[in-house]
Amino acid sequence: MASSLARYKTDVWSDWCPGCGDFGIVAAMQKAFAELDLDPAQTVIVSGIGCSSKTPHFINANGVHTLHGRAIPFATGIKLANPSLTVIVNGGDGDLLGIGAGHFVAVGRRNIDITVILHNNQVYGLTKGQASPTLRRWEQVKSLPRPNIQDAVNPIALAIASGFTFVARGYALWVDHLKEIIKAAIKHRGTALVDVLQPCVTYNNLYTADFYKGRLYKLEEEPGWDPVVHENSIEEVEEKIARAWDKALEWGNRIPVGVFYVNPHVETFEDRIAKLNPLYSESPVARQPIAGEDGRPLVGVEEFKKIFGKYIVEVERK
Amino acid sequence: METSGQILTSALARRGYGVVSDREYYSNIVGRHSYVHMRVSARRIPLSLTYPVQLAGFLDAESVFTHVFDIGDGGWLIYDTGVSRTRITRIPSMEPQVRDRLLSAYREAGIGETVSDVVSYLEKERSVNIIGIDFKQVLDGLRKRYNLTLGQAQRFRSTIIFAAMAGLLGLDPDSVDYGIERRFAGRAKIVEMNKFLSSMIIEDVRREYGSPLKLSTPTIDARELIIATGNDIVGMGKVVGGLRFQSYYPITPAADESTFLEAHESLSVDGEALGNILVFQTEDEIAAIASAIGAGLAGARSATATSGPGFSLMVEALGWAGMNEAPVVITYYQRGGPSTGQPTRGSQSDLLFTLYASHGEFPRIVLASGDPEEAFYDAINAMNYAERYQLPVIHLLDKFLANSTFTVPLPSWDRIRIDRGKTLLEAPRGVFKRFDKSEPISPRPVLGSGAITWHAGDEHDEYGHITEDPVNRIEMYEKRMKKLEIADSEIPVEERARLYGGGKDFLLVGWGFVKGAALEALEVLRDRGLEGAYLHLRMFTPFPTRFVGEVLKGYDAGRVIAVEHNIMAQAARVVAQNTGFLVTRYILKYTGRPIYTMELVDAVERIIEGGVEKVVLRYGE
Repeated sequence: MASSLARYKTDVWSDWCPGCGDFGIVAAMQKAFAELDLDPAQTVIVSGIGCSSKTPHFINANGVHTLHGRAIPFATGIKLANPSLTVIVNGGDGDLLGIGAGHFVAVGRRNIDITVILHNNQVYGLTKGQASPTLRRWEQVKSLPRPNIQDAVNPIALAIASGFTFVARGYALWVDHLKEIIKAAIKHRGTALVDVLQPCVTYNNLYTADFYKGRLYKLEEEPGWDPVVHENSIEEVEEKIARAWDKALEWGNRIPVGVFYVNPHVETFEDRIAKLNPLYSESPVARQPIAGEDGRPLVGVEEFKKIFGKYIVEVERK
Repeated sequence: METSGQILTSALARRGYGVVSDREYYSNIVGRHSYVHMRVSARRIPLSLTYPVQLAGFLDAESVFTHVFDIGDGGWLIYDTGVSRTRITRIPSMEPQVRDRLLSAYREAGIGETVSDVVSYLEKERSVNIIGIDFKQVLDGLRKRYNLTLGQAQRFRSTIIFAAMAGLLGLDPDSVDYGIERRFAGRAKIVEMNKFLSSMIIEDVRREYGSPLKLSTPTIDARELIIATGNDIVGMGKVVGGLRFQSYYPITPAADESTFLEAHESLSVDGEALGNILVFQTEDEIAAIASAIGAGLAGARSATATSGPGFSLMVEALGWAGMNEAPVVITYYQRGGPSTGQPTRGSQSDLLFTLYASHGEFPRIVLASGDPEEAFYDAINAMNYAERYQLPVIHLLDKFLANSTFTVPLPSWDRIRIDRGKTLLEAPRGVFKRFDKSEPISPRPVLGSGAITWHAGDEHDEYGHITEDPVNRIEMYEKRMKKLEIADSEIPVEERARLYGGGKDFLLVGWGFVKGAALEALEVLRDRGLEGAYLHLRMFTPFPTRFVGEVLKGYDAGRVIAVEHNIMAQAARVVAQNTGFLVTRYILKYTGRPIYTMELVDAVERIIEGGVEKVVLRYGE
């Protein structure tokens, strides 16, 4: 059952530039939350640093606004301590793919059940428009004194290579389309990337709304497009990854948005932990009792002797 | 070598002796010189090491060459006669500086370049009793009996050493068998072969030499002894203290603690799980502290364990925890720095770093442990403080304590309490003022408690939303810092500093693993006519200013000596900063090796009786 959009709004004023793509992303998130009827108290939005990382303050759900590049590891700790929470990461391209790229790769390796929403505008907005890791070589947005001489990283390709099991791209100004992708990403069990193309109206004069208009096309409208791994055979996984990879490399006159790759069959990190430690799935570590009513530890002297028996020598004098 | 140490320690503990053994090793896996340095006591749990040793057992030529001057006159040496003709110039693993230094000492003492030259020097000039064993012959016998390959038989070289030592110490074969069974539990064949070989060696040694180093009857009052390293003890403390999330990135000498916790992830008692600890190996130390903070926000007692280079990476997130009043414990095992420094050697050079790490001002607690017992309780207290005062807690240890093995009596549970302060696992539904300014320490609903909260590294309002309002800035800044004053008023002084002894001839001021050597030095110096005291510092912020100031008032500046494993006398600077008392006498060691009692005693005498101001200690290879 859907709930009202108002449930997910705060009264904090958004200090983004008028026309910023971030507004579209927040609107899509709020709509997705409402349609999924997410409980704001059981939802946590974790962000890094930058314009986009202010997102949590504008959404009525738990918000953890962390450090530049570190949203993923903070989110990881939150999710692993209490897997019943819905955890979403918001960050910019500089945040997630520059300073935080190592964590981006690591979360894919683990397939932790979180959703990463990448605000991708090719610039560092809050520091006034430097080149981000998604700006291409020799491109020169207006605030750059000289063209960019570093190559771009491809977020879709990197996510696939890192092991993300849901990889998609949306467009900040197509709010309803983006909302559907975000809903699917949240519902997916495993690490999900939503790469959101987002015009920066102030610093990016190359990738503008005009640029995207007419170039973007929806993958789901392509005949025969099916990004989902159904049978989980090695051949099928390879084929789906190869097709997603081809689409990931498309840029220029035709730019795909939509879902590139989904593999629901890879066990999540949480499942892997529970396999080794069955109690984990029943009782999140964050919710387990550690002491009795009187404050005495759950592990008393007798429990201690049993747990650490092999470290204890009974003295036997002769 | 470690195996020998473990088996001897078990055998000795079984009979009620106290043991400490320091493990000295290079930053490599196989092939470089490593050794175990033990101290055994019948009357107490030893916490310090000293030279010379009374009994030395060596597996190879390099050890004989390296430790020739560490053996006391009239002591005992066990070595492999198979290496007699090896020359010191033919040991590729020996560092050139060590070889050159030894060679010049050899020349001075009139020692030649072969193992047999060294042995004969020890025998003739130092009246050391020599037990030469032809290892090859012994192992050949074992090979034939059990049909072993050459490589398999080589593994029993250490058996020869511990068995010969056990024989000289007069340990009964049952206790040695116990040690073997404990070490090789579940590996019946290895146990059998070890028992066979060791009983044979013990018998041979007894027959030929008797038990010249027979230990006196133990009087330590303990029915059970834990055998554990400092890393293990901290892990045990964390388990008792309710740790539920530990993150780490592999680093020496901290990683052993996390490996220990991983082995006890499921807190299973009689087949029933009391709970479980999630041990999470991260991609780097930044992720380690960030995920630990995240787990703490969600309500798990959380910690990370690291060493200097790892903590350097954690510094930014430390400030985030301070700003967001988030509980997290950083267990910090100091090693030699700066940079990679000396990864496997000890140091106390990171105290000032932990006190000031991260930009901006925020409250933190820094405490340091000096022995296994302190380490156990501190591990629990650190988590209590983190949640009670809602701040990062840095628990300092050093490699000496971390990697040494101790026999430790079972701790007392009377003092142990879990204090989660104002942590709310359940909270009213809806938006919650996480940073309610009406009190310095606000109620802390965890993520998932029912409350909706925000956190931000930016300065924030009571809800956790960003604000740059100057009035809010003052209130929030002061709210955070006020918590340190509250901690200062609440945490008992006994847990923050302690004075041992009351003699006025001198006052040693130290911290961490210095404690053991300092306490023993007090006794030795008393016998030699100097009556002193030791001020042991355990908490550096909030600093026990009044207590320390009072103690220092009782001494002339020339009689107060800082004893530390660094070059700056860092703790003495913290003392000066807080009390205004300037320490002007120093005993410092920064070789990476522990402070040994005999060199500390000598240094104190040189300062108090010889008028020297600073002594730099250098004993040990």
